Amino acid sequence: MTRINAGARTRRPPQRQAARALDLTAQWAPTAGRVLLGLVLAWFGYHELVSPQLWTGYVPGVSATSGLAAALVLAHGWVLLVLAVAILAGVALRLAAAVAAMLLLQIVITLTITGGLTDLTLRDVGVLGLAITLTGTAPQRAVLSR
Amino acid sequence: MRVAGEMIGPRGAALLAVTGVAGLLLGVHGWTGRHHGLPSSLAGGQHRAASHPASSATPGSTPSQGPTKARSPKPGPRLSSQSYASYSFLVWPGTPSAAARAAETGLVVTVHRRGGGIAVAAGVRAQALPAATFYPTGAKVYIVEASMGDDSGNSDYNLGDDALVVTDAQGRILQ
Repeated sequence: MTRINAGARTRRPPQRQAARALDLTAQWAPTAGRVLLGLVLAWFGYHELVSPQLWTGYVPGVSATSGLAAALVLAHGWVLLVLAVAILAGVALRLAAAVAAMLLLQIVITLTITGGLTDLTLRDVGVLGLAITLTGTAPQRAVLSR
Repeated sequence: MRVAGEMIGPRGAALLAVTGVAGLLLGVHGWTGRHHGLPSSLAGGQHRAASHPASSATPGSTPSQGPTKARSPKPGPRLSSQSYASYSFLVWPGTPSAAARAAETGLVVTVHRRGGGIAVAAGVRAQALPAATFYPTGAKVYIVEASMGDDSGNSDYNLGDDALVVTDAQGRILQ
């Protein structure tokens, strides 16, 4: 009898549980978005740095086989990697997200000009939206604040 | 430290500095190895998306038009020993798989039987194909596509990760 009562005391009403879930979601959803955007940027940044020759075809206005194209890809990859770590760690988050948004906007525009509005371009539009969202996000969980 | 209105603490600054240095080292690695990627990229001077008119690769037995470069290639390393082996897709002989057809997006690969071998030509869609190259009987033709993520519909946005590989019957690279 005592045990049953003890269990009943710890159980929360459904409304409170739902409110708690919503509260947790509100707290952690921006962090999830931040981490996922950071992973995307880190993946592309890393691969552009280690295999620039696979990405030179994306450089607009420059021959894909030129050294200039490879150098531009490396510079792009370096920026992406630094932005990724800044976003993952929450260091200067709004600034990093704003720079990422500008880079993504440039990518979307270039892809649209060269290949039209396709599923590939729209996929990047979604990532651009995520970056824009993070430029205005309130203080987050799990950030390197010091 | 305050940058563009954002406060960056010493730990954050140190993390970004370490990342920057690591990125530089990776970049040096990438720069020195930039010629060791795919065998012969189909990109050439391309920087625009390659697109249709759509039609799949056309391996066949009819004689090809135009000149054919005769080649007596010296076999190189085995394709299976190369880093790009996992994303090489067989297009000849036999019917190309769905993955091979996807890898051919934006490209044209023609293979024709000729005399004691095959004539192979590959290029970008909607552009003139280069002269076909002759390989002895038993040769296998592969298309290399490092990332399918740059293909959309009938367009390939990045030809830098596409290449053509021809091997002999033992799997040693001829081109």
